[in-house]
Amino acid sequence: MSDKEILKADFELGFTYTRSTGPVIGHFLTELQKCKIYGIKGSDGKVIVPPAEYDPVTGETLKEFIEVSDIGKVKTWVWVNQPLEKHPIQAPFAWALIQLEGADTNFLHAVKVKKEKIMKNNMKVKASWALPPKGNITDIKYFEPI
Amino acid sequence: MSELAAVVGMGQTKHSSKNGEVSIAGLVRESAEKALLDAELEWEDIDAVILGKAPDMFEGVMMPELYLTDALVANNKPILRVHTAGSVGGSTGIVAASYIQSGMFERVLVSTFEKQSESNAMWALSTTVPYAPLINAGAGGYFTPYMREYKRRFNVPEHIGRIVAVKDRLNALKNPYAHLHIPDINLEMVEKSPMLWDPLTFLESCPSSDGACSLVISSERSVTDNQLPAWIHSTSMRSEPTMYAGRDAVNPQAGSECAKDVYKKAGIKDPIKEIDCAEIYVPFSWYEPMWLENLLLADIGQGWLMTEKGHTSLEGKFPVNMSGGVLSSNPIGASGLLRFGEAAQQVRNKAGEYQVQGAKLALGHAFGGGAQFFAMWIVGANKP
Repeated sequence: MSDKEILKADFELGFTYTRSTGPVIGHFLTELQKCKIYGIKGSDGKVIVPPAEYDPVTGETLKEFIEVSDIGKVKTWVWVNQPLEKHPIQAPFAWALIQLEGADTNFLHAVKVKKEKIMKNNMKVKASWALPPKGNITDIKYFEPI
Repeated sequence: MSELAAVVGMGQTKHSSKNGEVSIAGLVRESAEKALLDAELEWEDIDAVILGKAPDMFEGVMMPELYLTDALVANNKPILRVHTAGSVGGSTGIVAASYIQSGMFERVLVSTFEKQSESNAMWALSTTVPYAPLINAGAGGYFTPYMREYKRRFNVPEHIGRIVAVKDRLNALKNPYAHLHIPDINLEMVEKSPMLWDPLTFLESCPSSDGACSLVISSERSVTDNQLPAWIHSTSMRSEPTMYAGRDAVNPQAGSECAKDVYKKAGIKDPIKEIDCAEIYVPFSWYEPMWLENLLLADIGQGWLMTEKGHTSLEGKFPVNMSGGVLSSNPIGASGLLRFGEAAQQVRNKAGEYQVQGAKLALGHAFGGGAQFFAMWIVGANKP
C-alpha cells in the first residue's frame, strides 16, 4: 500500500471536567484570591500546605486552617532548559520544592531566575502574584529570589 | 475450604445530580464513615481497602485509589482498585469477599463512587474516532436496540417499560438516599415525558448521579454479637466479548451462565421460589423483564408477564429493586455495590420502609460494558 492510500485525520479528544473542590481545597483556592496561602494543622501539629482534607497519619478529618507566609526557602530544585508551552514561564526556569514560612511540608512551584547557577538550596524566595487573582493555583505566577 | 464472609455494615450518600459541597474524597469518605458506624467498627479495625469506580475518563482523575488513600485511611494498608465498567460495584464487592474467604484479611472496607457532575459520562462513552460512525448516543442509544429487539421478539406490549419506571420510582419514595423522588409519578406522566430513544421515554431512563456506597465485609470469626450479618452464600462473575457473530445481546450467555453458577454454588435449585427478593441492575425500564429471563427467574419471553402482573412490586411475589434501583439513583461506579448492599440490607432486616418482610435470601446483580460483564451474589440471613 502506498502512502497515498493511508487515510489520515486529525483527532482531538477533549472533555470539559469540572471540580467540586470541597471545604478544604475550596478554602485554599478562595484565600488565594486574597493573595493569601493557607495550610492546615495535622494531628501531629505539623502544618500541611496545600491543605489536606484528611490526616495522612491518622485519617481524621482536618479542620484547623493556618495562614502561612508567601515567603519560603527552596529545599530542592530541578532546572528546565526548554520550557513547554504550558509551563508557567516561557524562558528557562526551575521547578522547586519550597518550604513556606510557617509550613512543615514543601510546596511545588516554579522559580524565576535568569541563570541556573543562581539556584541554591535554602535560598529565600517570595511568591509573585497574578493580578487580579482568580482563586486558582495560577494566581501564584512563580516565586522569585529575595 | 474457604472462610465464611458476611456484610456487617453499609453506608451510602444521599444521591443527587450535583453534590457541590464535597470533593470526590469527601463523597467517598461519607459513605465509608457510615459503613463503619453501621458495623460498629473503627478505622483501625479495617485490614484492607478495595475501591471500585467506572472509567477514570468519567471524572478525569487517573488511578483515584492513590488520591483517595488518606480519605479511606488506607496508608500502610493494602489497597486495590477494581474496574469492570458499570458492573464494577458488584465486582468490587466480590473481590473484597474473596479476600475474606481466602483467610487473608479479617475485615475489608469496600468503597465505590461516581461523581457524574464533574464530567459528562454520555460524551465519555461516545468519543468520535475518525472514520468510525459518529454515534454520540451514550448508554441509552446503545442499549435501546436491544430493548426494541426484546419487545419485537416476544411481541411485548408498549406499557411494560412504563410499569417498571413507575414501580421503581414509587419504591424510591421510601428510600431517603434515592436521587429521584417524584411523589406524583404515574403511567401517564412516564408516557408523556419526552421520547429519548423509541420506545424509551425520559422517565424510563436512569438519572446521572453523584454518590458513593461502602460496605464492610467481615470474616465469620470477627462477626460480633451486635452486628446483623448478611452471610455471603455465593458469588460469581462472567464476561463475554462486546461483539462476536452469533452473540445474543438481548439475552447474553455470560449473564445466564453467571446466574446458573451463583445459584449452584449457593445450593439453589429453584431460584424464583427459594430467593425472596432481588436488586438487579436496571438503568432503563425494559431491562427488568429482560434480566428476569437472563437470570432464569422467568422463562424466555415470559419476564414481562411478571412485571405486568405486579409480581416485582414491593408487595409482589418476587420484589425487584425495592430501594428504587438504578432507575432512581445512578452513581455508576457505586450502582453495582448499591445493588449488592441493598440485597444485604434486606436479609439484615435493615431496609427500613422498603423492607420485604421476612426476607432471608436475596440476589444482588450488576452488569456493565455492552451488557457483557456480569457480577452477582447471593446473601442470606442464615449461614450457608
